[in-house]
Amino acid sequence: MTCLPDKTDKKLGLLIDLDICVGCHACAVNCKEWNTSGITGPMEDIKPYGDDPSGVWYNRIHSYEFKKPGEVDRTVYFPKSCLHCEDAPCVTVCPTGASLKRSEDGIVLVNPDVCIGCKLCSWACPYGAREYDTTGGVMQKCTLCVDKIYDETIPEERRVPSCVSTCPAGARHFGDFADPESNVSKLAAANDARDLFPEMETKPVNQYLPPRKRQIHKEKSLNHKVSNVKDAMLRWAKLDFTG
Amino acid sequence: MHPALSVIVFTTFSGMGYGLFIWICGNILIGTPPFREEIIFGTSMSFILVATGLLSSVAHLGRPERSWRAFSQWRTSWLSREGIMSILTFGPIIFIGGETYLNTGLDFLIMPMALLGIIGAVITLYTTSMIYASLKAIPAWHNKWVIAGFQVYALSSGGVAYIMVAGWQHYQIVMDLLVFALAVKIMTWIYIDRNRGQYKRESALGLSDFGKAKPFEPAHSQKNYLQREMGYELGSLRRTVMRWLALGGGFIIPAALLYVGFPLAPVIVVICLIGMMAERWLFFAEAEHVVRLYYDKDEI
Repeated sequence: MTCLPDKTDKKLGLLIDLDICVGCHACAVNCKEWNTSGITGPMEDIKPYGDDPSGVWYNRIHSYEFKKPGEVDRTVYFPKSCLHCEDAPCVTVCPTGASLKRSEDGIVLVNPDVCIGCKLCSWACPYGAREYDTTGGVMQKCTLCVDKIYDETIPEERRVPSCVSTCPAGARHFGDFADPESNVSKLAAANDARDLFPEMETKPVNQYLPPRKRQIHKEKSLNHKVSNVKDAMLRWAKLDFTG
Repeated sequence: MHPALSVIVFTTFSGMGYGLFIWICGNILIGTPPFREEIIFGTSMSFILVATGLLSSVAHLGRPERSWRAFSQWRTSWLSREGIMSILTFGPIIFIGGETYLNTGLDFLIMPMALLGIIGAVITLYTTSMIYASLKAIPAWHNKWVIAGFQVYALSSGGVAYIMVAGWQHYQIVMDLLVFALAVKIMTWIYIDRNRGQYKRESALGLSDFGKAKPFEPAHSQKNYLQREMGYELGSLRRTVMRWLALGGGFIIPAALLYVGFPLAPVIVVICLIGMMAERWLFFAEAEHVVRLYYDKDEI
């Protein structure tokens, strides 16, 4: 049913720390690895080894350069997947009920057996979280690895989305945002967590931690003291490495 | 947005079909009904235009064989409501055409059916416009001009079709409507051109306080679905050409031909339909989706 639940018991989602992400794409690759054989897979790959490969990914890693007057430029790696919004516009526009938000945990899913492939949900989503499967004629999206996080046959500590378990930098956290004592709620509260695109009024569940404030040591970081010792051999001899 | 032929045909053909039907019903209600043959021809044409539009929209689907499922979510989905209303509105169209043709003695129901027909057609057009106007992620659509436009263009293009069907007695009103529709279209363009730039990439990233952001390494080497579906970039020359084609074909030339009493009404209808298709092509091509902020657009 495409009516949004008034309230979900849990708000499962991701907290992504942009200060830590190194843009390695491991989360996107492991997402594809798990989900292509998961409940909403396969995730198509058209001409994967050709000149013009295309296919469905639930997670894409963007990167941006930020310029601010008076500050050194900053590079931010920006993983983007479904934010499992509380007011998900992709759910309410769906004419068939294929798009749904679960009342128990807030996960937004597409039922591939009901979807007619009208693509309207992808038009409604401001974040580009949904991609179209041309082979199956249906829409696909992040499932928050719903077929992994509840799987009691795997060890409990591994019951997290595959993007979270694979992140080598520890930039991704998974938890219940409805519980103020959860790991993600505490981290979010302590680190100025952000909604993406608040003007769209979608109330995203996933949160992003912004890059932290730089510690500015002007004389150290920006104006290196240049060594007076020009000769490299002499510099070693004097153990002077200031240059 | 990618201007797909299927959705262009869907909205222009069904728009003209409903507009024509409103004209037929309106004339029945005010006591100037067209002749019997004209009603049969007009309702048939209306039926064919609407049906062509709807079939074209079904062709747009990835799984057309499941399209019956689209009638289920009328509580929240404008697309679902549109589907239901379009099917319901076939009732009056078929009844008025069928009863006039077969003469089964139910002609006392023609008047109430004409009223229901107008209500149904107007609501259907409204639900069609709301499919687009409800999408906050596409600012060029998320406004009242879109809602007004779908009604007005249906009435003006349907009026041109009505002249072909039932003669010239209302050509003055149709001309006025064409001029009014022209004004609505120009006002719509002024509105969307002036409202560009209200959403910024930095806000899409949730990092408005970090200065100006520009893309660094692309997220993927080749274009993905999002860019193919929502990344249409309209060149300024093509925009100008298409805007003139839309204004000329959709409104100015039909109005001028009506003014000079051009005898071949079907030609005016074809010109009007081509102009409306150009207008609808632009409706998609000019609409920028905010997801482009993550890709090539600094602001939308």
